[in-house]
Amino acid sequence: MRRLAPLVAGALVACGTPFAPPIAAEHPTDATPRRGGTLHLASFADIRALDPAVASDDLAATPIEALFAGLVDYDASAQIVPDLARRFEVSPDGLVYRFFLREGVRFHDGSELLAADVKRSIERALHPTTPNPAASLYDTIAGFEAFTGGKAEHLDGVAVEGRYVVAIRLKETDARFLSVLALHPLRPVCPSAGDRYDDAWVPCGAGPYRLPPGGWDRGRSLLLTRHEGYFRPGLPHLDALQWTFSMNRAAELYAFEDGDLDLTHDLGDADLQALRADPRWAPFLSPEPDRTIDGEVMNTEIPPFDRVEVRRAVAAAIDREHYRAYKPESLSPASQALPPAVPGYDPHFDGQRYDYAAALAHMAKAGYPYDPATGQGGYPGVIPYYLVRQGSTEYTAQILQQELAKIGLRLELHLVSWPTFLSLAYTRHAVAMASPGWAMDYPDPSDFFEALFSSKAIRGEQSTNTAFFKDPHLDDLIERARHELDPGRRMALFTEANHVVCDEAPWAFTVTQRFEDVAQPYVRGFRPHPVWTFQTADTWLDRPPRARREALGLLWGGRGVPDRWLASVRGGRGW
Amino acid sequence: MSDEGALLRVRQSRSAVAGLGLIAALVVFAIAFPWVSTHDPWTSDFARGVAPSGGPVGPGRDFLLGADRIFRDELVRLAYGARISLFVALSATLLSSVVGAAVGIASGYFGGKTDFVLMRVVDVGLAFPFLLLVMAIGAALGRTTPWTIMVVLGLTGWLGSARVVRAKTLQVRGADFVVASRALGQTTPRILLGHILPNVAGPIIVLATLSVAQMIVAESVLSYLGAGIAPPTPTWGHMLLEGQDYVAVAPWTLLAPAAAILGSVVAFNLVGEGLRDALDPRTPDGG
Repeated sequence: MRRLAPLVAGALVACGTPFAPPIAAEHPTDATPRRGGTLHLASFADIRALDPAVASDDLAATPIEALFAGLVDYDASAQIVPDLARRFEVSPDGLVYRFFLREGVRFHDGSELLAADVKRSIERALHPTTPNPAASLYDTIAGFEAFTGGKAEHLDGVAVEGRYVVAIRLKETDARFLSVLALHPLRPVCPSAGDRYDDAWVPCGAGPYRLPPGGWDRGRSLLLTRHEGYFRPGLPHLDALQWTFSMNRAAELYAFEDGDLDLTHDLGDADLQALRADPRWAPFLSPEPDRTIDGEVMNTEIPPFDRVEVRRAVAAAIDREHYRAYKPESLSPASQALPPAVPGYDPHFDGQRYDYAAALAHMAKAGYPYDPATGQGGYPGVIPYYLVRQGSTEYTAQILQQELAKIGLRLELHLVSWPTFLSLAYTRHAVAMASPGWAMDYPDPSDFFEALFSSKAIRGEQSTNTAFFKDPHLDDLIERARHELDPGRRMALFTEANHVVCDEAPWAFTVTQRFEDVAQPYVRGFRPHPVWTFQTADTWLDRPPRARREALGLLWGGRGVPDRWLASVRGGRGW
Repeated sequence: MSDEGALLRVRQSRSAVAGLGLIAALVVFAIAFPWVSTHDPWTSDFARGVAPSGGPVGPGRDFLLGADRIFRDELVRLAYGARISLFVALSATLLSSVVGAAVGIASGYFGGKTDFVLMRVVDVGLAFPFLLLVMAIGAALGRTTPWTIMVVLGLTGWLGSARVVRAKTLQVRGADFVVASRALGQTTPRILLGHILPNVAGPIIVLATLSVAQMIVAESVLSYLGAGIAPPTPTWGHMLLEGQDYVAVAPWTLLAPAAAILGSVVAFNLVGEGLRDALDPRTPDGG
C-alpha cells in the first residue's frame, strides 16, 4: 500500500491542474488576413449526409454551409441577406418572391449557375422520391401538393423568368418563407446532381469550399478544399477544412490542447469551468447563442397527463435552479417555449415557474391530492419515463424524479439506447413522459410553435409534436402568425401562443443550454454562427511554425503523447 | 485433509485474514452505514451539496467522501452500492455454485451420454464471451433489477466450476469408499450427497470465493456499460461511469467507487487464494 501512495497522490494532483498553454498567433497585432492553412475540427458524433436535400443532422450544418451557397443566407447576426441572388424583391401581396442571380457564379465543377439550376435544385429537393425530412417547410409554394404527391411533373410555383431571374410564387402568404428558404434543403446543386436524388452523388455546389475526390471517408473524416472559383473575391482564406468524426471527447480536448485541432465545441461542463477560470484561455472562449429548449414533455393523450391540472402541477413542481445546478456553466433556467436566441423570447415573461404550493393545489384539482407530511395520496400509478443512456437526461431525470415525488407523481426511469429512444419518443401512444428537447432550425418562433405544439405536426411516427398536444385556439394563433406579414402583429400572435403553451403545459420547460467554442489564439476571424454553428467563411490562420513542429511531436509517440508527459511532469493537467 | 487443519492454515495465512477482515468491514459498512448516515442515498442536497463555485462539494465534514454529480452523499451511495454488489455477487455465486456443482457431479459420476451432453452444453456456453452474453440477456430483459442481474450472472457463471467439479468427481467416483458404498447397496442420491459432494467441496468453495470477486466486477461492468440496474439505484459501476466525465473537477466521484471495486475484489481474491492453499492436498501438512 505504501508504494501506491505517491501514485494516488499524483493522480489526485493531476486531476485538478490546468490546461496546456494556448498557442499564440504569430502576428497578433496584424489584422490582415493571411491565405493558406487547414482548419482542423473534430466531433464525437458523425454526419449522415452531405446532400442538402436530405441532411438533417446538426453537425452537418457547418460543412453543408461551406459546400453550398443559397439564394439567401443568414449573416453573422442571423439577418437574411442575399447571397447567390444579387438582390430579391417581394410582390406587394407577399405572394411572389423574385430573385436576381449574380452573373458568372461558378459551381465547383466549373459550370455557371443559372436560373434553371435553381428551379432544378428545388424540384430535386422536393421530389417525392427524395427523402427530404424538411420538405413540409416549403408547403406554401404553389403546386407543392401536386408535385410532392407525384401528380405534376414540375413545381408550378417556381418559374424561370430569364437566364438569371427566378420567381417563387406562394399559394398563400407565408411570413416565414424567407427564413426557411435561407436554410439548406433547396440550395442550388451542380448539374451533375440531375433532377432526382441519388445517394451516390458526390456533393457539389457553389459554396466557398468543395469536396475533393475521396475527401469524405464516411464515419471517419471529411476534407473540404477551397473553391477557387468562389464568387466572393479573395475568399475563403483557408486552403481547407478538415473534420475528424467519432472522436472521444477527452481525446478531442487533448488534441486541441496539443494544437492538432484548432478549435473545439464539444466541451463538458467541467472543461468549461476550468477554461473559464484560466485567464490564459478565457479570452478565447466564444459563447454560441442559446438555441435549444429542454423540457419535460408530457404526452397529453396518456394518463395522467391527459389532465391539464397534472401538467400544470409538473410545470410548477420543478425547481429549474436544481436542473441548472447540475451544469451551472452551460444551463440556464427556462420559463417559456422559446430560448433567448429566438425572436419572440421575452426575458420578462415567467410563463412557468417553480411554486410548490401551487403544484400541490393543481394535483388536488386534478383529483390526486397529495399530503407531503404523510406521503399519502398522489397519482396511484407509476409513470414510465424514457431516457437515453449516458446523456444529460440521465441526471436531470433523477432530479425530476425527486421533484415529482414531492407532489405524489412516481416516475420509473427506463434507460434505453439512442435508436430505441428515437423510435419511442416520437411515436404516438408510446411514451408518457420524456425529454427529447428541441434545437432551433431557423431563428423564428414558428420553428418552435409549429413543430412542437401545432396539431398539424402530430403524426403516428416521427411526430415533432411529441406531447401530441391539440388546442384549437393555439392552432388558430399559429396559422394566423404564418400568414401575418406585419412583424409587430405577428410577434403579438406568438406572444399569445407562448402564454397558451405555458398555461396548458404540454411541456414543462426546464433549461436552455448554451454551447461554447474555444479556439487557439492563432485562429483569426472565427466566431460561432447563430444558425450554422461555426462561421468559417472569413476565418484565417496565423499559426507560428514552432507550434507546427510541436504538433509533429506525435510522430514518435502517438497524438500529443510527448507533450502530455512533459506537461504532467511539469505539473500540467493529465487525467 | 482435516477440516481443523484447513481452518488453522486459513487463520495462519496473513493475506486470507486480511481479506476476511476487509470483507467483514465491507459487510458492516454496507449494512450499518445507511442506517447511521444522516444522508439519504436517493435525495439530492441542494442546500449543502453544491460548492460555492458550482458543482458538487468535495470531501469534508458534511459529506465525508464529497457529493456526487447531483449532490447526493457519495459515501452513503457507496454503502448502498455495496449492498447491491454484495447481494448480487453472493447470491449469483450461490446460484452458479449450486448449478455448477450439480452439473459437474452428474456429469462426472454418471459419465456416458449424460456427461457428453452436459459437457457440450458447457463447451458452447464457454465459447460465448461471458460479458457479451450477460449484456445480451440484460438488454433482452429490458428494465433490470438486482434480481434479474443476479439470475443472469448466476445462470451464466456456472460453466467453469462445472468443469472443475466434473474432473474432481471423476477422481473420486473410482475411490474405494465409493465402490464399497455401491457394493453395500447405498442409493445413488445418498452416495452423491454423502460421499461425492463432501469430497469435491474444497474446489467448489475456492471457486465460489474467487467467483464472488468476478461477479462484483461483472455487475460493475454491466452497470458501467449502462446495461445494469437503472438509476437512481446506486451501483458502483454506474457511479464509476458518472464520475469519469467529472474527474477533473470532482475526482472523488471516480476514485471512491473505483477504490470500492478494487478493495472488494482484492479482499475476495485474498480469501480465495488463502482457502485454495489451505485446502490443497499438495500444501505441506495439507492432509
